[in-house]
Amino acid sequence: MKEILFISGKGGTGKTSLTSSFIALTDNCIACDYDVDASNLPILLKPDNIVGYDFSAGYSACIEEEICTSCGLCKEVCRFEAINDDYQVIPLHCEGCGFCARICPVEAIRMEPRSSGHWFGSEFKPGQSLFFADLRPGEENSGKLVAQVKKAARQKALTDDVSVIIADGPPGIGCAVISSMVEADLIVLVAEPGLSGFHDLKRVYELIQLRGIKAVLIINKWDLNPEMSQKIEDWAAAQGVELVGKMPFSTIVADCIAEAKIPATDPQIRDLIFPIWENIIQQL
Amino acid sequence: MQIAIASGKGGTGKTLLSTCIIKVLAERNAVLIDADVEEPNAALAFMQPISATTTVHRLVPQILPDYCTFCGLCAEICKFNALVVLENKVMVFPELCHSCGACSYLCPYAAIDETIHPIGVIEKAQLPGCGTLLAGRLNIGEAQSPPLIKAAKNKAPSANVRLVDCPPGTTCTMIEAIRGSDYCMLVTEPTPFGTHDLELSLEAVKMLGMPGGMVINRWQGDDGDLLDLSANWDFPILARIPFSAELARAYMQGMDPLLAMPALRGIIADILHHIREVSS
Repeated sequence: MKEILFISGKGGTGKTSLTSSFIALTDNCIACDYDVDASNLPILLKPDNIVGYDFSAGYSACIEEEICTSCGLCKEVCRFEAINDDYQVIPLHCEGCGFCARICPVEAIRMEPRSSGHWFGSEFKPGQSLFFADLRPGEENSGKLVAQVKKAARQKALTDDVSVIIADGPPGIGCAVISSMVEADLIVLVAEPGLSGFHDLKRVYELIQLRGIKAVLIINKWDLNPEMSQKIEDWAAAQGVELVGKMPFSTIVADCIAEAKIPATDPQIRDLIFPIWENIIQQL
Repeated sequence: MQIAIASGKGGTGKTLLSTCIIKVLAERNAVLIDADVEEPNAALAFMQPISATTTVHRLVPQILPDYCTFCGLCAEICKFNALVVLENKVMVFPELCHSCGACSYLCPYAAIDETIHPIGVIEKAQLPGCGTLLAGRLNIGEAQSPPLIKAAKNKAPSANVRLVDCPPGTTCTMIEAIRGSDYCMLVTEPTPFGTHDLELSLEAVKMLGMPGGMVINRWQGDDGDLLDLSANWDFPILARIPFSAELARAYMQGMDPLLAMPALRGIIADILHHIREVSS
């Protein structure tokens, strides 16, 4: 089983448009969306048979008013300003470290498991699974939720004997991205030929190098800035990152997204994307 | 006044708008805080030299071997698995530590000190005639950005107007970035992705009880489902920035968007006028 992960550093470079298209071009794969706080792959893949599971990670402090003597010790030790002047816990601030519960002299504080969101198994084609998740706004633990989605996808791949997992990654370089890279066999970088696109690409590539994972590159909307596109190509060549394809800017792609359709369902886009997919597969 | 510029979806134009707003303000003491510390891009719009760099640290445990009895209490206390106690060794994983300080405080043998662990830097740049930029930059490999976001906001001087360019998403990092603002502007695009992610970020903004409004970027004559969302959530549409391939091209080439789309200046002035009215 091989896992291919699409990431970009910068948001909005076209990861989901491309990932969904490659999924559509593959006969049999498991699809995954690791962008757990703003999951968009299901919008295009429109899955059925969705089964949801509660996701709890970490804890939240809870102060029992009748027992609390307002001594102030919890408030003093909490580094997250999670306890207000009325000795109530502000859930958005609480990191669930349990320091307050440990030191409360009258044991007025309990640590309760905290529901952080949901993860889902589903089918986007008969017998083909899509895994995604839905982190509650404001929650942490996105890395752990990504790990949960990944675990479910990999298990399913083993049971169903599916040889490839295609995953849409989150933006940035933080916990969710780090977690999405675990056990990935190939990372496809999706870059936009702008100043920020290039800047962010270099940062996320540094992270990939720390993890020692093989990476290849797609330049999306390359013709919006051919000069920068060339700079990115030169950089990639110097880093030994193979350029597997360049996509031109296309209003057809934008129209597909506006209609919540997978771009590769359009024959013209399919012809552009198919050779890129063949190049990616060869890298495995 | 502090205005947060956020979005659920990435790449909707937060940084474009933030950097243009500070130019339109043209106040010498305005401050722009780049709180997208994983991928800070605001500085790219100005090309000004960095005048100061400050390293930001977090506290993590440091075991004092002479005092440690390997009793294992610290590992039991730590909810983040940042400490593992072996027979005659304690392993610390700084990247998992949330810096709560419980292990150090509660160690019965006073065998845990706290030491500093660098997580990133804050870069400061003077902008020509329009204020100061403070940009957080997370070290590669660090998982937690909220402490750096908090530090960047704390370090920023008080000013008539403080703008916060926020990270995408709706998680703890976005909350940390918008927290403490007087107004939250959500930048979106009229696509199914934009609408879906906007609704999630609306939930986050409403949770904080913060007033705000949305800006529709790449508008093509149709608000789509955003109109319903605006009505349902009582969240006004502040402005519509028309789609322009020319603007997209110019921005990618590092050119000033206000030159590529002169109408943008008026759009931003209207947005600021509205926010001032709501806030006063």
